[in-house]
Amino acid sequence: MPSLADSAVPEPRYLSRRLGKSTILFAGRILTSLGLVAAITILLFRYLHVNATTAGFFYLVVVLVIASAGGLVESTVASISAMLCFNYFFLPPIGTFTIENPQNWVALFAFLFTSLMASQLSARAKRRTKEAISRQHEMEKLYSFSRALLLADPGQPIAHQVVQRVAQAFDFPVVALYDRGSGAIYKAAEIDIPEIEGHLREAALRSTTFRDEKTNLTVTPIRLGGEPIGSLAVAGSSLSDAALQSLLNLAAIGLERAISQAAVNRAEIARQSEELKSTLLDAIAHEFKTPLTSIKAVTTGLLSDPAHDLRQPQRELVTIADESADRLSKLVTEAIQLARTEGGTFRLNRGVHFVSSLVSASVRQMKSLMDGREIIVSVADNLPPVWVDADLIQMVIAHLLDNALKYSPSGSPVSVSARQDDGRVVVSVADGGPGISEQEQSRIFKKFYKGKSDENLKGTGMGLSIAREVMSAHGQEILVASQQGKGSEFFVSLPVARGVSGK
Amino acid sequence: MSAARILVIDDDPQIRRAMRATLTSRDYQVSDARTGEEGLEMLRSAPYDLVLLDINMPGIGGIETCHLIRSSSEIAIIMLTVSNAEKDKVAALDAGADDYITKPFSMPELLARIRATLRRLPQVPGQADLRALISKGVQIDLPSRQVTVLGRASRLTAKEFDLLSYLLARPNKTIAHRELLQAVWGPDYGDELEYLRVFVNRLRKKIEPDPSEPQFLVTDAWAGYRFHLPQ
Repeated sequence: MPSLADSAVPEPRYLSRRLGKSTILFAGRILTSLGLVAAITILLFRYLHVNATTAGFFYLVVVLVIASAGGLVESTVASISAMLCFNYFFLPPIGTFTIENPQNWVALFAFLFTSLMASQLSARAKRRTKEAISRQHEMEKLYSFSRALLLADPGQPIAHQVVQRVAQAFDFPVVALYDRGSGAIYKAAEIDIPEIEGHLREAALRSTTFRDEKTNLTVTPIRLGGEPIGSLAVAGSSLSDAALQSLLNLAAIGLERAISQAAVNRAEIARQSEELKSTLLDAIAHEFKTPLTSIKAVTTGLLSDPAHDLRQPQRELVTIADESADRLSKLVTEAIQLARTEGGTFRLNRGVHFVSSLVSASVRQMKSLMDGREIIVSVADNLPPVWVDADLIQMVIAHLLDNALKYSPSGSPVSVSARQDDGRVVVSVADGGPGISEQEQSRIFKKFYKGKSDENLKGTGMGLSIAREVMSAHGQEILVASQQGKGSEFFVSLPVARGVSGK
Repeated sequence: MSAARILVIDDDPQIRRAMRATLTSRDYQVSDARTGEEGLEMLRSAPYDLVLLDINMPGIGGIETCHLIRSSSEIAIIMLTVSNAEKDKVAALDAGADDYITKPFSMPELLARIRATLRRLPQVPGQADLRALISKGVQIDLPSRQVTVLGRASRLTAKEFDLLSYLLARPNKTIAHRELLQAVWGPDYGDELEYLRVFVNRLRKKIEPDPSEPQFLVTDAWAGYRFHLPQ
């Protein structure tokens, strides 16, 4: 009976579409089993003329064959019809449904009980097999789905790929996914269920499952760590709850992986553009400083060589060239520092540092520009170490010292001091210059701002704005206190390194 | 000191010309090379006392050239860098340079560094008794600057040797950073802690059986360094 065996495992996707056809098939199977009972009755009654006992066994065999090949309904129909035929044709009085001998009642019911039991057992075994096979199919599909997710193309939206893979792996005609993060709905193909989008949003929002028996639509939230991150709608197939749950878990992992991948990509792009900027600036610095190096070698060589005894006008001219080279070098350095620090996107290379060594390194950088002037250093004892980018903080202090030296009369004192204040270390640089008016104080940190007096023209207008960018990258501030005629003092605060004790 | 032979390795022709002119007028013998490869070739064919090595060059680059020179020679090396950043300075010293100078620099500054680098520490009499070290598998032969640790032989550069012999002459005594810097590099130095950090690490790699757990060259945190000589 090949037709029965073939349709033992119904193809899920055709279940609803081919309902008419399967009804015909079902009726055919019942008729076939009735036909078999009829055929054996004719064979036994008309041709073989066997006794009741033999006939009973023959009927049992037929029922068992039908039960093992067909379903519960066919075998039950076969059992009852076989019982009736057995009674009518073989139990005396023959040709009636009445039974004379009470013993035959027992035989008849024993027959009915045995055949019904056999039908039940056989049907149950078949159901188990069917279930096992469909579980296995689900497992295979889940496996191919998870494999497809692992190999997902990072260039395409992952939610779109999840939908495609679900549709492919499970043969669903209807698959839709709602990604709560982006608010987008992805569909495997055109879906003619208008309310599906509402169900998807509802499922993700309320974290509830929606089922519609009529269209066989299931909408379930996709949860990650208890939180719904989207929802998935499938229709057109029955999938066991366990398999559906596994599918949702896989989809959740896939989506989560995509989200973290996107975050990593964004960070990577930011890092690369930062690196590119840094490389470009390094190249620019190199290009400008190379010719400056030979100019400086020549001017300082001429000025310092005892063998070249320059006459005064020549010495003056070479000195102008030398100072201009210094100024150009400084402009290049500061323009590059400004480009590097502007916008605060640069990365700090923080470490634990002692304020005393940061200050002395800055003072050391000033040595060549001090022109015999003195910088008074007073760093308090027992200052805690600070958590800063040493190169940048040295640069800030150097800029402040440079300004202090530049904007104060030669011979007036310049001092740098450091003390602890309210969980921070405050470094201040003070000069005895003319001071800064209140209106000017708000402008001095602006890019390219230079004071109006002649003295101010020596500056580049970049030092303080670099200093402010560096301080804000450290989450700290730079302040100025100044009184006209009494000099200026700039303050920068540095964060204390936690968990490290002082000297 | 005069007539020291200097090899300038820099890809910029103007810098080579300026160096040649200014250094020659100070009685140095100057040769130059355009690339690291050419410089290495010249070092193989003639003796020099000092190399001025540009860090940023096409081809094998300054840092790699420095490594290559160091793999076969203890010649003095000063690196020329554009960057003032700590990590670039440390990279230069780590590669085996004795000093570095930031471009653009003035001639007096360069001359001071050349003198400091070529300057040799006068050998102090009464060096430590090194027999205790020999028993620990470490053999230091001061006259030949040869060190053998557990059968692994290496030679010290002049600056490494000066630093080691200064510490060895004062065994089991903490020497402050500033004192070490001024003694070994010269009176213009004193705040360049990164020099000491890198040079002590370089020495540890050569004389310590386990450089990550130094037994002899001991750091006294925030104070200085000490040569621990087993009694």
